[in-house]
Amino acid sequence: MIIHNQEQLLKIVNQVYDLERKTAAKEEFAGLQRNIGRIRDAFSEMGLHWASPEGEPYNDTRTDCEASIAGESSENLYISEVLKPIVWIKDGGLQYIIQKAVVIAESQT
Amino acid sequence: MSNTINYGIDLGTTNSVIARYNAGKVEIYKNPVGHKETLPSVVAFRKERIIVGDKAREYLEKDPENVAGSFKRKMGTTESFFFKSIGEFKTPQELSAIVLKELKNFVYTGEKVNAAVITIPASFDTIQSNATKKAGYDAGFEEVLLLQEPIAASLAYANKDDQQEDSEGQWLVYDLGGGTFDVALVKIGDGEMKVVDHQGDNFLGGLDFDNRIIDKIIIPHLEKTGRFDNPGQELKSAKGKYNRLYYQLLAKAEEAKVLLSAKDSIEIEFEIEDRNGESVEMVIVITKTDFENSIRDLVTSTIDMTRQIIERNNLDVSKLNHVLMIGGSTYMPIVRRMVGEAFGIPVNCNIDPTTAVAVGAAYYAGTRTRTRSSINLKKHDNAPGEAVPDNLQPAPVKIRVAYQKTSQDAQEYFTAAVEGNFQGLFYRITRDDGGFDSGLKALAARISEMLQLIRSTVNNFTFRIYDAQNNPMSCDVPPISIVQGKYNVLGQPLPNDICIEVDDYENNTTRLEVIFEKNSILPLKRTITKNITKTLRKGSTDSVMINIVEGQHTAHPSTNPSIGCIQVVGKDLNRDLLKGTDIEITLEMSESRDLRISTYLLMTDQEFTNLFSPSERQVNIDKLRDEIHDMMKRIAADTKDAERREDYELAQKLTMLGHEFEDLAAEINALSTDDITDRKYQLEDRKRKLAQRVDALTRDKHITEAMQEYFEYKEWCKDLIDAHGNPDEKKRYEELVAREKQVMSANSVIRVRDAVKDYSRLGGPIQWRIPEKLVGIFYWLATTRKDELRDQTKADRYIEMGDKAIERKNYEELRVVINNLVQLLPPDKQFIDMKGTGIG
Ligand SMILES: Nc1ncnc2c1ncn2[C@@H]1O[C@H](COP(=O)(O)OP(=O)(O)OP(=O)(O)O)[C@@H](O)[C@H]1O
Ligand SMILES: [Mg+2]
Repeated sequence: MIIHNQEQLLKIVNQVYDLERKTAAKEEFAGLQRNIGRIRDAFSEMGLHWASPEGEPYNDTRTDCEASIAGESSENLYISEVLKPIVWIKDGGLQYIIQKAVVIAESQT
Repeated sequence: MSNTINYGIDLGTTNSVIARYNAGKVEIYKNPVGHKETLPSVVAFRKERIIVGDKAREYLEKDPENVAGSFKRKMGTTESFFFKSIGEFKTPQELSAIVLKELKNFVYTGEKVNAAVITIPASFDTIQSNATKKAGYDAGFEEVLLLQEPIAASLAYANKDDQQEDSEGQWLVYDLGGGTFDVALVKIGDGEMKVVDHQGDNFLGGLDFDNRIIDKIIIPHLEKTGRFDNPGQELKSAKGKYNRLYYQLLAKAEEAKVLLSAKDSIEIEFEIEDRNGESVEMVIVITKTDFENSIRDLVTSTIDMTRQIIERNNLDVSKLNHVLMIGGSTYMPIVRRMVGEAFGIPVNCNIDPTTAVAVGAAYYAGTRTRTRSSINLKKHDNAPGEAVPDNLQPAPVKIRVAYQKTSQDAQEYFTAAVEGNFQGLFYRITRDDGGFDSGLKALAARISEMLQLIRSTVNNFTFRIYDAQNNPMSCDVPPISIVQGKYNVLGQPLPNDICIEVDDYENNTTRLEVIFEKNSILPLKRTITKNITKTLRKGSTDSVMINIVEGQHTAHPSTNPSIGCIQVVGKDLNRDLLKGTDIEITLEMSESRDLRISTYLLMTDQEFTNLFSPSERQVNIDKLRDEIHDMMKRIAADTKDAERREDYELAQKLTMLGHEFEDLAAEINALSTDDITDRKYQLEDRKRKLAQRVDALTRDKHITEAMQEYFEYKEWCKDLIDAHGNPDEKKRYEELVAREKQVMSANSVIRVRDAVKDYSRLGGPIQWRIPEKLVGIFYWLATTRKDELRDQTKADRYIEMGDKAIERKNYEELRVVINNLVQLLPPDKQFIDMKGTGIG
């Protein structure tokens, strides 16, 4: 399988992710969330999946993220903000990253 | 056997690139981790690992004691970089060697890089040049040639699309990258190209433009609202209240800058807390004019430096062929415009500004023969472009690994005991999706690593050993496989794909679509939306079938057992269900493998749910009947085909199977739809086994046909791409070719056909751009296919219009005509045969 117009699709995925983030855990958006969920399902039918690594520990082996390190220390980092999610293509048994997450990491204090 | 150098390397201040010349073309290699063409020239020694590239760059500012970048600026000086974690100094030459070694990893063919052309700035003196050369030897190259960057760029241009190479003349090379600016005057005479003069600024580039957006646009905007104290300082100080936001803004500023190269105005959007702790949603509109005003002085300074060269050399500007633009920042229209206005000579933006230097170096390398005769020592040489790795040297060690094969955590501990002579060797562990990279670590008697896991799936890692020159060695560590899942005990991976059966119009049968992939971790839930393809009348016995099967999704549906099936029948509907409306299907599979299927009809607002437990096989007699009928048709067609090919043995076998199906059909017809005995299960089982035999018999033929078609389409696509493809299309083509091995090894007709479609979708649009092809398609429609056109009067009119358009060479109009003609074809014929028509 090959995804066409990958760049454009990623733009859409990033917007959907933003919508997910903005409506998350808000009762008043329940209806919207259902629609967003359907968009996510449609993408996963195409083989596109995404996830946010927010809150996870960060270190120099994580090549699934592009991080900017904020604050003074670079030890004991966690992901404090996710501007773009990690996006994978799943194709048969194969899975590979087509977009690294763009994140801010900072020290857990 | 090639004895030219072939490899070209741009060893840059900020980024490095490696490319290889092969039979008249240059391939740029990508980072196996992250697939970028560029490798940041940054090296880190953090704890016990050596990290090169993107990850190292992230820590550059925050961990300066262990990370070094921009060492190219210090090349050939006595200055070295101290790394606290290892308590050692490293020279710029040593660090450059580490970057070069990492670039060797990009060469996915496994070919050993023994020689390379490495580029250097025009400003490099003898000492700096020699240091670069030595870095190459340190990295394990036996032979290193140096080439100046402006010359490399000029070669990249000269070799582009058979550009007529000028034998006389001079031009400027203007290089504005991420952090450095260089301009050079290049002259060619008597067949020799040389840099006559150069000028530059080591601290001017794209990063400065990003910062200007923050300084001159965003901060003033924040100040104007009066709601924030000292926003500038709070952003930029590491202790500042808005420091996290600063990095967010830097990323957004770069994105904005890149967008403004193509658009007139963009928005930057972010959240910020004001002095009262209230969260404010900021939306700042930045126009191209705002942006250009904020950076004009920086661009002007590059123009001034260029002018100095012109004046110093008493050049008559009009005698210059052009200004060749390279470096990513020359994408900016303001740069192109200002350079053009200042000198009044053509601004040449025809080569890829980020890879031009490496590409040019590779072209040069392709013309230089190797002088050191180490080639004689090599046991064999790869045919050009063939992915045959050199026989890897076996690592002189024995390794025993230990790790948990299942995990509930985000990370899992891996450890190994190493015996043998591991001195000077390194190891590296990467996750196969590219999301984890341990970096290079020294091999020791005991090694360990925390492996980062993706949730709810099988994580595969590869363990490799490298020698001191970063050449891979063979070792007998099998792939590391860890299942991550919340339910350590129950959460087993699915042993098979779970699929839904859907119609396949093209081949007039049905096919499988995966819902849950093999190896996914239970429990699973998914909702998909499908179209109803026929109208169901309320109260009728018409029905649609949702059939879920378990087994390989590439096989024909009838060869896999059904594990659940829901039928939506007209008599259960509260109103007519129209063709084209949506049906939402939700599938849930519990840890104990219960399958729940619920369908929701958007049009009638009805829901049908059914729970199936795996021990209970689902057999629907109507469906069984349909399937057998379908199989008999298939067999008949295949038999005929075999006879035509005079393969009488196969034809006979198929005929026998056909008879067995006939018997089966008779038995099923004798069964009533609501039969409650075991009979239907037995029959279903027999059908499945028979279908598998048919599949096995005919698979070869179908595969051969599909492969034939595959190579035809690939060839066709390649010709189009070579002659008319843009870089993006070339890239996609390469991606398709890269998957070939995988496609072929799946041994599945469907997989191969999908790949054919990919080529056809890639090539189709290209044809649309080529006048001769359009004319061809038009005539083909107007003659061969004319009888199929549904409205002959209309068709004649369009054909007349098309003839005229061709006469006037108006291809835009011809496209419209073709489109109209295609619309006149029967709907099911409009999209087929894309190779012939270019309609995609
Ligand atoms: N479309 C675009 N519009 C504007 N700027 C762009 C565009 N694409 C890339 N850039 C900028 O180009 C810069 C990177 O260019 P390049 O890859 O040539 O730099 P480099 O070779 O790493 O740096 P240097 O030559 O200074 O060592 C970045 O600042 C990036 O933002
Ligand atoms: Mg550069």
